[in-house]
Amino acid sequence: MQDRSIIHLNITDFAVAVERICDTSLKNHPIIIALQHASRALVYDMSEEAYGDGVRKGMKLSVARRHCRQAQILDPRIALYRKAMTALVKQVDTYTPMVEPGTEDGHLFLDVTGTHRLFGPAPDIAWQLRKKVLRGIGLDPVWSVASNKLVAKVASRMVRPLGEYIVGTGEEDAFLAPLPLSLLPGLQQDEIKMLRSFNLQRIGELAMLSRQQLLVPFPKRGAYLYDASRGRDLSPVLQKRCAQHSITAEYAFAEDTVKYNDLKNGISNMVQKVARELRRQHLLCRRVMIILHYSDGRSAQRQALHKKGTDNNFQLHSLCLTALARAWKRRIRIRCCTLACDRLTPKSVQQTLFTMQSKQERQQQKIMTALDAVHARFGSKSMQLGAVS
Amino acid sequence: MFALAVRSYYSLMRACSSPEKICAQAKELGYEGVAFTDLNSFSGMWDFLAACKKYTLHPLIGAEVSDLHKASSLYCLVRNPTGYANLCKLITKRKTHRNFSLLQESAKLASGLTFLSSSLSDLQVLHKNGRIIAANLGNRPTEQGSTLRRWAKQNSIPAVATTGAVMATEQEQELYQLLRAIATNSNFVPTVSGKNKTVCWLDSPENMREHFSVWPEVLPATDQLARTCTFREPQSSLIMPPWEKAVAGAAATLREAAYTGACKRYGNDLSEAVVERLQYELKVIDAMGFSSYFLVVRDIIHYDSKDSNKPDRRICGRGSGAASLVAYCLAITNVCPLKHDLYFERFLNPGRSDAPDIDVDFAWDERDAILDRVLTEYKQHAAMVCSIIRFQPRMAIRETAKAFGLPAGEIKQFCRLQRSPKGTQNMTAPWPQIIDFASQLINIPRHISVHPGGVVITPDPISEHVPVEFAAKGVPVIQWDKDNAEKGGLVKIDLLGNRSLGVIRDAIAAIEQSGSSFEEEYWQPEEDAQTQAAIANGKTMGCFYIESPAMRLLQQKAKRGDFEQLVLQSSIIRPAANEFIREYVRRLHGGSWQHLHPKLKDVLDETYGIMVYQEDVARVAVALAGFSHAEADGLRKVISKKDKILRLRDYRLQFERGCQQNGIKKEIREQVWQMMMSFDGYSFCKAHSASYAKVSYQAAYLKTHHPAEFMAAVISNQGGFYSTFAYVSEIKRMGLQLLAPCVNRSQISWQGKGKEIRIGFFSIKGLSAATMERIIQKREHKYYTSTLDFLQRVHPHRDESRALIQAGAMDGVSQGKKKGELFWELAQFHCLAKLQQTSSLFAMHLPPVPDLQPDTPVDALRQEYQALGFLCNAHPLQLIHIHTKGMTRAHTISGKAGKHITFAGWLITGKLVSTKTGEVMKFLTFEDETGIVETVFFPKVYRRYAGILTTGNAYILQGMVEEEFGVETLTVERVEKITARPAT
Repeated sequence: MQDRSIIHLNITDFAVAVERICDTSLKNHPIIIALQHASRALVYDMSEEAYGDGVRKGMKLSVARRHCRQAQILDPRIALYRKAMTALVKQVDTYTPMVEPGTEDGHLFLDVTGTHRLFGPAPDIAWQLRKKVLRGIGLDPVWSVASNKLVAKVASRMVRPLGEYIVGTGEEDAFLAPLPLSLLPGLQQDEIKMLRSFNLQRIGELAMLSRQQLLVPFPKRGAYLYDASRGRDLSPVLQKRCAQHSITAEYAFAEDTVKYNDLKNGISNMVQKVARELRRQHLLCRRVMIILHYSDGRSAQRQALHKKGTDNNFQLHSLCLTALARAWKRRIRIRCCTLACDRLTPKSVQQTLFTMQSKQERQQQKIMTALDAVHARFGSKSMQLGAVS
Repeated sequence: MFALAVRSYYSLMRACSSPEKICAQAKELGYEGVAFTDLNSFSGMWDFLAACKKYTLHPLIGAEVSDLHKASSLYCLVRNPTGYANLCKLITKRKTHRNFSLLQESAKLASGLTFLSSSLSDLQVLHKNGRIIAANLGNRPTEQGSTLRRWAKQNSIPAVATTGAVMATEQEQELYQLLRAIATNSNFVPTVSGKNKTVCWLDSPENMREHFSVWPEVLPATDQLARTCTFREPQSSLIMPPWEKAVAGAAATLREAAYTGACKRYGNDLSEAVVERLQYELKVIDAMGFSSYFLVVRDIIHYDSKDSNKPDRRICGRGSGAASLVAYCLAITNVCPLKHDLYFERFLNPGRSDAPDIDVDFAWDERDAILDRVLTEYKQHAAMVCSIIRFQPRMAIRETAKAFGLPAGEIKQFCRLQRSPKGTQNMTAPWPQIIDFASQLINIPRHISVHPGGVVITPDPISEHVPVEFAAKGVPVIQWDKDNAEKGGLVKIDLLGNRSLGVIRDAIAAIEQSGSSFEEEYWQPEEDAQTQAAIANGKTMGCFYIESPAMRLLQQKAKRGDFEQLVLQSSIIRPAANEFIREYVRRLHGGSWQHLHPKLKDVLDETYGIMVYQEDVARVAVALAGFSHAEADGLRKVISKKDKILRLRDYRLQFERGCQQNGIKKEIREQVWQMMMSFDGYSFCKAHSASYAKVSYQAAYLKTHHPAEFMAAVISNQGGFYSTFAYVSEIKRMGLQLLAPCVNRSQISWQGKGKEIRIGFFSIKGLSAATMERIIQKREHKYYTSTLDFLQRVHPHRDESRALIQAGAMDGVSQGKKKGELFWELAQFHCLAKLQQTSSLFAMHLPPVPDLQPDTPVDALRQEYQALGFLCNAHPLQLIHIHTKGMTRAHTISGKAGKHITFAGWLITGKLVSTKTGEVMKFLTFEDETGIVETVFFPKVYRRYAGILTTGNAYILQGMVEEEFGVETLTVERVEKITARPAT
């Protein structure tokens, strides 16, 4: 089998790095990213300065604050990090289609096996990638090259926050042996704790144990530990899956609210947008989902189904209110609301022989058609559906 | 005109105005009387009666009783005492019976009550049963009312108008909505107009007349009905617990028991002083009808020992009751009032109109059983006193903010900021609105809880005096709190739990178990010279009531270990008396002083001219301002109350007037008044302090003479002032040997013997009670011989086994194996045990353990700290590699007064105090391997370092050593936290 060449790119403290691009005044200042208003806020990410003061991911924000009192706390902006991640992938996908991005965390694995003739040796590619990413989106990644994902990731961990590391094929076990166990990816906290209780501190000490011996304390994970401690990892670089097709709209309230009427208005607004888009694409929606985003960062999602599918504003509105009643179970104020229509089916162009619609539905259909015509000519704000309370 | 059907905030979250506010509004609107009908509650009755008296309104007592299963209710108005008892019973049934049916029960308990209902079917049923009823037409004519009125007319029944008010004024509508949102866990959305038409407020008589002008007979009928309810107030004479066990009667039995007890205490030849005092007390007790009360309390305490030869139960009778020689003779209290000159009149005097109570402490783990027994023995006749939980500022803000939909994190952050005065400035929306609403919520009752130990017992069923309900923990509680119970004439007995009594009991048991004899009957610990010396040196960590840093410092400064001084010291240590403490020590050491006024000579001579005991306030008021004993007692009580400002103003005027008449100078008056005000918050009477001092001496004696048994009992009973960590350090400083827990030797609790203390299983974190018991049970016949043997016989959970190994409890059976190897064996055992579930033909053998690295000493200590929270043979400071060269150690701090030092210490406890200017400062206690250092953090330094100071961490402190009366403290200037913690 051909030796593999895996590149691991890692933007250290990705969320912080992205925030610092958006606001340059944050540079060189300790940053903690966490939902400040959550009842039990946990650290989502932190800058190197805060890390130095003892702040760790998943730590309670109240504890983190005590460790680093001068840190600036920012709310996480997942959508922004997702956007940055997409931009990062875009920078590198010209070298290989085998790109595996992490979940908005600044990690990328690239399998460049067999691209030697095109772009040169793997370290050269990694070097070029680093420059390209830095030039393109202003983020400076750590990079490492190894024969598999596991060793590449350990190598990156060795050099963060900045630098590069190349582990040659066949040098994996020698590279890992002196390193502490905590650097080995995929190890749970309780596994590390258990290994330490056996007086095992370094990866090399773990590698001294046979597969049989490891299966005693770790019946399920013994095999993984055995391979990992020797730098063996056959897992492939997986490509990103395509997103499912859906039509969505979002409504952010001017001020966080608990008023039913505010939500109803927001939903009406979103339904108009989504229904117009459905009709434009000649689609029917069979499921609506209402996602409520609360002030404390938590969200709730519930759905309502329509058997045949619909693009009718009135029916969609009624479905949305059903979903809203199912989703809205907390007292916390709502910051924004998302409407997602999926299970989309094409609308049949052919009319049915016998009319199945009620009189009211036919009237509603006419209003929709007229409204779409007005919108097409004069813009979507020219005329709106009203409601009688 | 009368306002019927008015709810106050005692309807618990179903109305929002106080009885006082409703009465004020009713008076202003021109009502002649008000019928209070709280929902299933009599909690507010006494407040309502007081408010009616204040505003000269006719009170009508009643309640709205709701059905348990249907949305219907009846207004019940009391016409006579029978009706009152019936209504109490009806509410009790509503609150305690699962199958309560309103119509059935109200038909049974109808005597003396008038029922008002707006349900035609209910009225028909009640009418059929011949009950006195009236049709409730509400506060304006309606279609439903019209039907009711017609039916009432046909049956010659009065049809009356009711206000149905849940608030005093129209402006409180939003507050009511907010309360309902809080009660139903829903959101509150303030309306633009602030009005909601669905709720009623107290409407004016004019409006009522206008509404009912179409039915002119209704309002006169309403007034006529109200006038038939002549019951104004339940009887409030003292209701004593019943005692009918002897034919001779309570007074004679008490006399006999007192004299028998006296002979036991003082010998058969009673001195004249004893007889004289007994005679006097018995006379007063009999005159005030307290004989049965004393006997009931005695029976409660010594129930177990009355028919057997068991020794008396270990108790501590405290409070003012400890001043009674009769109580001492009945073994209700343990301090001789004659020997210590305790003031009986503070407890009972012929002029005292309110009911004094006897407080008794039991060992903390015996109290619940005693309470259960009392409630069972006096079933239907006994219940606990309730305490009414009201909205306090922080709770009000939190609940309002939650109703506004704010997330918990934001609320927490706001509440934290609010502590600093600058915090609430520039508040953003909706916080100003929340604060506005929250301030209206403060003091509104939220729910009923249980008083910590107050029990009332009545001769007839208690539900005839006051409604009873069940608290969440299942005990019956009356709907009155302690003040209202007192107004209702119910005499409370306080049965409380005390950990130190458990400590003394266990320590003595351990001493006896080890073969030594312990003669308790003639035990006089306060006369033991070594115990006195230990108290004089402040070596009282672990001793009841005198172990706090403040108390130990005071003992060290006072350098006195006699009983009288300890009684005085444990009373003078109270929040607002700091300056008097310093003055006391100065005077004690011979500093010059004179009485503020010659008239105080007799009163304050024994306390160096300083008011120390509660009764001093009363006695000074009598001596200087000519107060009567009852008035002076009233002043004493008011000072310790929270809402005293208004009532205190009158007393202040009276005091000023009295002093002026006696020619007392203004500055003396002012000084005396300020000294009286230092009794704000909690303070003790001498009898109480003496009772506590007795327990303190017992503890100090045991610590001095049987240190291992005592310290083991202190830790085993838990709940002391300090953490187990701090007590362990004290054990090491006392030169005792601490032995690691062992599966073959430890018990559940700690065991002390000679110079050794064996750690008990309960200190191992994560070990369940069932496993602890199993370990002991399975080794009864044979000790464990190996890890495998232990695991196979006990079957502990994997985490429990880990904790046992970490704590070193398996070392005795490990056959010299390393901890790492033991963990490996544990893993092997669980793996094989799983396999053996399917094939268990052969005995289990553990395969050989691979060659693992040896345990590092530091790692072993880390594990020990993790499992136990302390180290058996080291101090965590030793684990932290800091450069301690040049630093002062705790034992070398004396003699460094006036010098700047650097000290590395472990924070064990602290106390927050306010300065005169309202700033916050803290007294913190640190220790190292050699001793304890008390430190002072003045406001500026405390503000700077408050964020990093948490108990159970190591710090480097820099500051100046200060000395006062031979005691050194460290005034801290700089702090640095040592970050490497032993358990990470």
